[in-house]
Amino acid sequence: MSARPGVRPRRSRRAKPLRPASFSRALSVLLLLLFYLFPLLFLLNTALKSNAAFDGNPVGLVTRPDFGNFVTAWDRGDFAAYIGNSVVYTGAAALMGTLVSVLMAFPVSRGYLRGSRWWQLAFVLLLFLPNAIITQFQLLLRLGLYDTQLGYILIMGAGIGVGPILLSGYFKSVPQELDEAAAMDGVSYWRYLFTFVVPLASPAIATVFILQAIGVWNDIILATILLPDSSKSPLTLGLFAFQGTYTSQWGLLAAATMIVAAPLVAAYVFLQRYLVSGALGGAVKG
Amino acid sequence: MAAGFPFPRRGSMRLTFGLGAAFIGVFALAPALAVLVLSFTDIRGLPFLPVNWVGLQNYAQFFSSGHLDYNLNAIKNTMVYAVISTAVQIVVALGIAVLLNQRLRGHTFYRAIVFLPTILGVTVTGLIWSLIFNPNSGPAASIWRWFGSSPAFFGDQHMALGLVIFVQIWSVVGISVVIFLAGLQGIPAELYESADIDGANGWQRLRLVTVPMLAPSVTATVLLGIVASLQNYQLAYVLTGPNNSATQLLSLAIFSQGFGGSATSGLAQSQGYACAISMVQFVIVAIASFLVMTYLKRREARL
Repeated sequence: MSARPGVRPRRSRRAKPLRPASFSRALSVLLLLLFYLFPLLFLLNTALKSNAAFDGNPVGLVTRPDFGNFVTAWDRGDFAAYIGNSVVYTGAAALMGTLVSVLMAFPVSRGYLRGSRWWQLAFVLLLFLPNAIITQFQLLLRLGLYDTQLGYILIMGAGIGVGPILLSGYFKSVPQELDEAAAMDGVSYWRYLFTFVVPLASPAIATVFILQAIGVWNDIILATILLPDSSKSPLTLGLFAFQGTYTSQWGLLAAATMIVAAPLVAAYVFLQRYLVSGALGGAVKG
Repeated sequence: MAAGFPFPRRGSMRLTFGLGAAFIGVFALAPALAVLVLSFTDIRGLPFLPVNWVGLQNYAQFFSSGHLDYNLNAIKNTMVYAVISTAVQIVVALGIAVLLNQRLRGHTFYRAIVFLPTILGVTVTGLIWSLIFNPNSGPAASIWRWFGSSPAFFGDQHMALGLVIFVQIWSVVGISVVIFLAGLQGIPAELYESADIDGANGWQRLRLVTVPMLAPSVTATVLLGIVASLQNYQLAYVLTGPNNSATQLLSLAIFSQGFGGSATSGLAQSQGYACAISMVQFVIVAIASFLVMTYLKRREARL
């Protein structure tokens, strides 16, 4: 870990017992934590209340934890299947989109294609295309892919967003001499791309994957349009439907939300180092 | 066309590039272009009905007296949503990033916490905040009651959009924080040392060293923010439904006009009209983003 250029307390203040700078810093951190943890803790608090306890005192701290809501929510919602669907959609679509971004961005960033500069422009224009939910629905309808998981994955996979732009910027940091040296040694284009360029650009590739995965994971509109069959619902839609069915039964809804959130938080605890640390910021030169 | 292609077979590169381009072409580009074409037709959600050209009728309908109020309201909400959520998010993210960039104990934990809502997804986020802003029994209602008022929160015409923006910022600020943190760690420590020698105070260090050095990250975040806030109608949908005029965004209008707000009720809706809304949104987004990007690029070059 290299030294970070943090703000150091100024020398003149160092002698004082309580430095206002560090006090306000601690206060800011506390507020930040409260702002992010309170909603989650309140959710847990609500989930542990029986209906009677919620009606008696909806806001107060839970006195006798009651796990009945969890049992009911688990019985009535098909959350394991929804989580499974979401994982498949997110993994497949983000993988597809990232692969396509790599395949398109590398030759363009190198100028190996005719009209590379136009492709570069096309990557930017891709970001600003009109909202195409209607036509994507019509396309899948006419291809016979409406209400199929494959159709949904293809649509979500094609939503590559900033992927090619970030990658073509990052690929420029891989020296072009390496291409020539590898070609001289008889390495083929595909092998070179996947065994040399991809590992060298892994921070940017991870970023592109994560950004697209976030988009797919959070989608609810396209899932509503393209997947009417509720057994194919991703998590977002499954939980939303559950909310529609059990309106205002807050204990039950909170328990359902906890059931959904718990595996995500658990997975996140293990993955956050890769998700958050170098990866996401890695592609943007600062 | 800078350098020649060093590998023996150009065909393999062309093949994979072409496959990628074809995939994007079929599932993203063609539908986007078709929006323009279909906006001149009376196409409906039910398949195999005859489709007729109607010229500019859908656009005339958009600006007709029966629809104009609804649409102007959606345009206004979209602008407010995009501008405020992007601007506030960047300021908040910068503040959090500068805070977490100091060598605090547990800074990785704090960073993980701020990023967490991104993983939880819109529905979980929506449910959590619906619970907190539940007008009958939520903690926010208790706080408001101390001040003698009992608003309906997401059901209140004056509060709903502000609250959706608030939740949007809560849930996506982590992405910008991470991008800013990466940018901050790339600022050489010597710059701060020379600022100290010149006697700069904390605010001057932030304004004269940190912010200019972060310019590329800011440009990236603004771009992501604009694109996200214009496509991110998911949260408004989850929190207030597709047909709430207080949070009616253009993209939600496309959804509710094209599908009637749900998958089953909308098969007879006029999707040609919805395509026209989409084109209007496209023009607005294109102009707004072009202006913002030109300004930021010029600023970045000047710094």
